[in-house]
Amino acid sequence: MKALLMDTTLCVACRGCQVACKQWNRLDAEQTSFFHGGGYQNPAHRSTQTWNLITFNEVENGRGMDWVFGRRQCNHCLEPACVTACPVGALTKTAEGPVHYDESRCIGCRYCQVVCPFNAPRFEWNDPNPEIRKCTMCADRIAVGSEPACSQSCTTKALIFGDREELLSLAKERIAKSPNRYVSHVYGEKEAGGACVLYLAKAPFEKMGFATGLPDKPFSSEVKTAMAAIPFAITGSALALGALYWVINRRLESYKENSEDES
Amino acid sequence: MNRKTAPIHPGPALLGGLACLGLAAVIYRFWAGIGAVSNLTDGHPWGFWVAIDILAGVALAAGGFVTAGLVYIFGGKRFAELARPAVLTAFLGYVMFVLGLIVDMGRPWHMLYIFVGNHNSPLYEIGWCAALYTLVLALELLPPVFEKYSMDRAQRLWRSLSPWLVIVLLSIFTLAMTYSWIWLAIVAGLLLAWEILMRKGVMGRQRQTPILLIASGVMLSFLHQSSLGSLYLMTAHSLNPLWHSPLLPIMFLISAIAAGMAMVALESLAGERFLGHKAPFSPLVDMARIVPVFLIIYLAMKAGDILAYGDWRRLFIPNVQSVMWWVEMGAGVVAPLVLYLTPGFVRKKSGLAAASGLVVCGLIINRVNVAVIGLQVQRWQSYYPHPLEVLITLGIISAGVLTYAWASANLPIHPRK
Repeated sequence: MKALLMDTTLCVACRGCQVACKQWNRLDAEQTSFFHGGGYQNPAHRSTQTWNLITFNEVENGRGMDWVFGRRQCNHCLEPACVTACPVGALTKTAEGPVHYDESRCIGCRYCQVVCPFNAPRFEWNDPNPEIRKCTMCADRIAVGSEPACSQSCTTKALIFGDREELLSLAKERIAKSPNRYVSHVYGEKEAGGACVLYLAKAPFEKMGFATGLPDKPFSSEVKTAMAAIPFAITGSALALGALYWVINRRLESYKENSEDES
Repeated sequence: MNRKTAPIHPGPALLGGLACLGLAAVIYRFWAGIGAVSNLTDGHPWGFWVAIDILAGVALAAGGFVTAGLVYIFGGKRFAELARPAVLTAFLGYVMFVLGLIVDMGRPWHMLYIFVGNHNSPLYEIGWCAALYTLVLALELLPPVFEKYSMDRAQRLWRSLSPWLVIVLLSIFTLAMTYSWIWLAIVAGLLLAWEILMRKGVMGRQRQTPILLIASGVMLSFLHQSSLGSLYLMTAHSLNPLWHSPLLPIMFLISAIAAGMAMVALESLAGERFLGHKAPFSPLVDMARIVPVFLIIYLAMKAGDILAYGDWRRLFIPNVQSVMWWVEMGAGVVAPLVLYLTPGFVRKKSGLAAASGLVVCGLIINRVNVAVIGLQVQRWQSYYPHPLEVLITLGIISAGVLTYAWASANLPIHPRK
């Protein structure tokens, strides 16, 4: 399974990956302005036209303020909540890694947005024929043996593409080699069951705006338990209702007969 | 019913006006997109419509399956007069729910894909179940139509065919949920055995009503009322732990049963007041004895859940969520419970209306809390419904109430005076 590793300590926030993402996926330019939330972060949020966003964070490091750069995109989870949630199967997890969205089945219910802990799917609110839009991990490029536009454009090799297992051991190697340079955590290894986008950072992830405090088990596990109970609920309720109906009606009838005998 | 040239009353006129305005807003929504008529955002993709039209609407329509089940399966003949109005309300409730869903879905023209969708999704289950249950309710609602137009042959056909139709529908449903022929065989076998045992006279059979039709309504309701709670199992990251719980599916089911019965009382009393047909009071009082049982179960589950997960400290952090939790549980569960258990209180019409009204309000507040107030998403501003969101919902409800009034006036729904 393919994955991306972002070593945020190497990122210089050139935003080349943002531009490359827009070019390859033909996303429209947006009206932007500095200091409207997030300082130099621009645009302020991901949107239907911005799937990949470099975040600018000011973090207290003990000696003063540090400027650390993070990144936001669809994390392409190993067991995605959105895929379990989608009632029509418009979202699927592919063997190569990307979580794929098929607009030809989408009913626009937005349940994927409700359940995504990373707030990745975006909805076209002002379109009468709206779609969900999010990072595709450039599945079209991966399919022909290339790599995503963002990682290919990265000049400092902060963002690299490869096999998930290899990237994960590389990330752990880097932490082990320079423990002072990194917080000892690979974000995306275990979060909500793990993801295909991994992050290394020098500042704590919660201070860089990452969703933290997520359980290690996938979000879908409780739902799968509840859904697995359905056939038992159908059978059980049919048995219980049938039995109760039988017993109660027999009692009512014998009661009726008795009272008729007496009268 | 020989009312001629009735004058236009302010009530129906207001409801009709709201329905028309709502329709205009719906047309605008399909022209300009959901963003034009709502305050929904990528951080708060579900809001007022989901809370009211879907979660509260379906729960309040639970009176249909509860009453029908009580009368025909649990031998509660004394509730018989309540069954038809309750089934009518439930049917209209589900039609309103589907209309609300069509407005809320971005691409409703793809909605049939839900029948060939993803059987891990609670929403897929709800789609299947609600569609089948609406069909079952329509079938349950046919006898008044048969009686009105004296369609005896059609009624006989309905009596003999609907059990087989139900067996086929529930079997297909089981297959769709499990993709397993074994489960299909088990469910089909059980239902067939039930029907055959009734026909052979081993189990008592009611000549007038196909028992399997009623039973299927109860079974389908159990499933989708609880699945509405399952929807929120996957929101551990955003739903306040005051509401998020692995027991959500069962809590949704229990609260819907209590509120469904309260709704039967409330609409019966409202019908007496505004539509001029008599409320069968003594069965309503009998039913009011069952409601507190479910309120106590619900209260115990909520309390146990809060204590078991150690979230009770959140109850004393002063914020909107904790206040709304106390309002919901205090005014919507504990207060009506006290009223129901006060001897003689619900034997007065005003008392019954007050207790039922509180339960219904409590349910609505609970669903709003789960879907809107308890959901907090990092870095996104709070969500408040747009006036047009509210108008669309009011329009749909108004159309529903008008249809209810029309049907009660034109079909033998209520007991004759």
